[in-house]
Amino acid sequence: MAYAYLFKYIIIGDTGVGKSCLLLQFTDKRFQPVHDLTIGVEFGARMITIDGKQIKLQIWDTAGQESFRSITRSYYRGAAGALLVYDITRRDTFNHLTTWLEDARQHSNSNMVIMLIGNKSDLESRREVKKEEGEAFAREHGLIFMETSAKTASNVEEAFINTAKEIYEKIQEGVFDINNEANGIKIGPQHAATNSTMGGSQGGQQAGGGCC
Amino acid sequence: MSDSESSTSDRTEKSMDQEHKEPSPAPRDEPSADAQSDSSTDVTPTRKTRKRPELKPPAEEQKNLQTPQSAESAPNASTETTVSQGGWGYWGSWGKSILSTATATVATVGQGLTQVIEKAETSLGIPSPEELSAQAEEEKTDDSSGTNKEEGEKAYGMGGAMGMISSSSMGMLSSLTTVVQSTGKTVISGGLDALEFIGKKTMDVIAEGDPGFKKTKGLMNRNSTLSQVLREAKEREQQQQEAESVSSETDKKAHYGMLFDEFQGLSHLEALEILSRESEAKVKSVLTTLSGEELTKLREELQDIKEPFSLMEFDDELEDDMKGDDGEDFVKELTDVLERLQISTSADKLSKARKNAFNHITNMKLQSESKQQEEEEEEEEEEKEQETPVTKYSVEDAHLFAITSLAEFTARSIEQFQKTAEMLLHCNTEEATAAEQARVLSQVTIVICKEVSLLSKKYTSCLTTIGANEKGEVLNPLITSVFLEASNSASYIQDAFQLLMPVLEVSHIQRTVESAQ
Repeated sequence: MAYAYLFKYIIIGDTGVGKSCLLLQFTDKRFQPVHDLTIGVEFGARMITIDGKQIKLQIWDTAGQESFRSITRSYYRGAAGALLVYDITRRDTFNHLTTWLEDARQHSNSNMVIMLIGNKSDLESRREVKKEEGEAFAREHGLIFMETSAKTASNVEEAFINTAKEIYEKIQEGVFDINNEANGIKIGPQHAATNSTMGGSQGGQQAGGGCC
Repeated sequence: MSDSESSTSDRTEKSMDQEHKEPSPAPRDEPSADAQSDSSTDVTPTRKTRKRPELKPPAEEQKNLQTPQSAESAPNASTETTVSQGGWGYWGSWGKSILSTATATVATVGQGLTQVIEKAETSLGIPSPEELSAQAEEEKTDDSSGTNKEEGEKAYGMGGAMGMISSSSMGMLSSLTTVVQSTGKTVISGGLDALEFIGKKTMDVIAEGDPGFKKTKGLMNRNSTLSQVLREAKEREQQQQEAESVSSETDKKAHYGMLFDEFQGLSHLEALEILSRESEAKVKSVLTTLSGEELTKLREELQDIKEPFSLMEFDDELEDDMKGDDGEDFVKELTDVLERLQISTSADKLSKARKNAFNHITNMKLQSESKQQEEEEEEEEEEKEQETPVTKYSVEDAHLFAITSLAEFTARSIEQFQKTAEMLLHCNTEEATAAEQARVLSQVTIVICKEVSLLSKKYTSCLTTIGANEKGEVLNPLITSVFLEASNSASYIQDAFQLLMPVLEVSHIQRTVESAQ
């Protein structure tokens, strides 16, 4: 339960690309084919271990609908990581990436680590966006890239954890000022760092009590 | 900016220590080091101040706290000022008030004075002196590794924009000192209220409980946001728990703050604070663009919206009889009231939290009733002992249920307000004016707080039944802590309600603009 760091994440992208499903898969390890539209923002949290350190991810899952955009933008601030999600079976969701990216860059801190995610990789037959296109977009804009499936859980864990690793490296390099909480990083209770490795038994999921 | 100060003062402190050790080991000049750190704007020394409650706060810091407040036009400004003026001096009166309530308690309940204080301390999350000294040592080691890095980090300063962000986002202030200072104070003054309240009430409770929430005075201090107060509390609990697990006293203890966070209460609160803060800024900027009649008109309209936020009277004398209330009345009342908001909100999650609480209570009641029966039978025939019921709740279990329920219910209430804020900003309804909505929301707050009060009554009555054979020293602190957390819950809920005011104002402005076009 005690953590060395807490990272704030945001999940953004068009409506219906599977943002909430990715979160649910990550926090609860389950898939829910029918999901209510997210209103504003929903939350999830989970503990992960990087480099022997317990890190708590506090994830803000935002509404994808255009009409909520002005509200969800307010939540970008103070995020250390962002998952920018599109649907590989819907070309338009890929086309909108530039707008999302501009929005994210404008309303968050410049060091925010952004992971580009092409979701629904299980639906290969309906694929409209090639993996190479995603890779190219990521390379061009300096993002990390991954294709995931919230349904089969493929790469979901990796997407969240690799983002955290990147943030962690940036902390080590001194890019992130961890004392400035506007960077979306909080240091855990003081002595968490020293005995976090032993507290592994408490790790694993720590989602919102399964009540979401 | 305070980062740099903190690192330097840390270093000076440490280097001073070292100097003392090497050239002149005789006078361990602790006090001077302390005095220095107390006046500096540093996080660690502030914690030290906290460890020494009898110390008076440095004058300049008090000023810091007061200036922004005097500029506030918040309705509860007066209470805030008293709180901050009291400063650490409050400890004195705090102790006294405990003493008086404690003696009262001793008389009625037969509970030891030290215990009341001990309990009060643990419920307030104030670490014991042993923990504090351990903490201080760890802080020192942590600091030494942190100082070098800080210079490197500063080099990556992110320019002016960061300054803006740091002062506004996620409720984090760039100067942690004021936060910690005022947070400490708010928690304590909040706790003070609660304690006085408990002191008076504990006796009533034993006789026949009625924890009303007459006071609308919340914990909110403009220098520290509510989520900070709660996060701090949670972190302290975390530390406490770890300290406890080391000494392996009791493993199962109910920690309200941690539970509240697990139910995502903190996150929703943070989100609500963001919306509130941004709305506040928008309202201010709109007001600066207006002049003359327009300005007067808008000011008046905003005043209508503000009104319901300043008058909140709790009608706690209203007798809710303790019949098998499964929360349906509450759900119905809440749904009816929410409907009048004319925005699409659902009370499902809050209703579910209420139902969970009801289930816990029913289970415990059933169990305790069967236990009572058993005892009656036991008096007749002693050999019945083996047939213990499958689910046997201890008073600790009951207490854990109570605290969990309160944390869940409060987290869901705050989520309800956060969703309301989003919907208010999202859709501009024509059906109800913002002033009407403000009145409705104040009604919602009352309904919810009444329910918190009811829940705490139900849980404490369960506790008294289950713990009928327990000693007062075991049972009373548990009951006290349920009332304390219930009182805190009500404060958090009321503070969250206050955060809706700027949101409604923006919503009103949006609607006015829309209808003008």
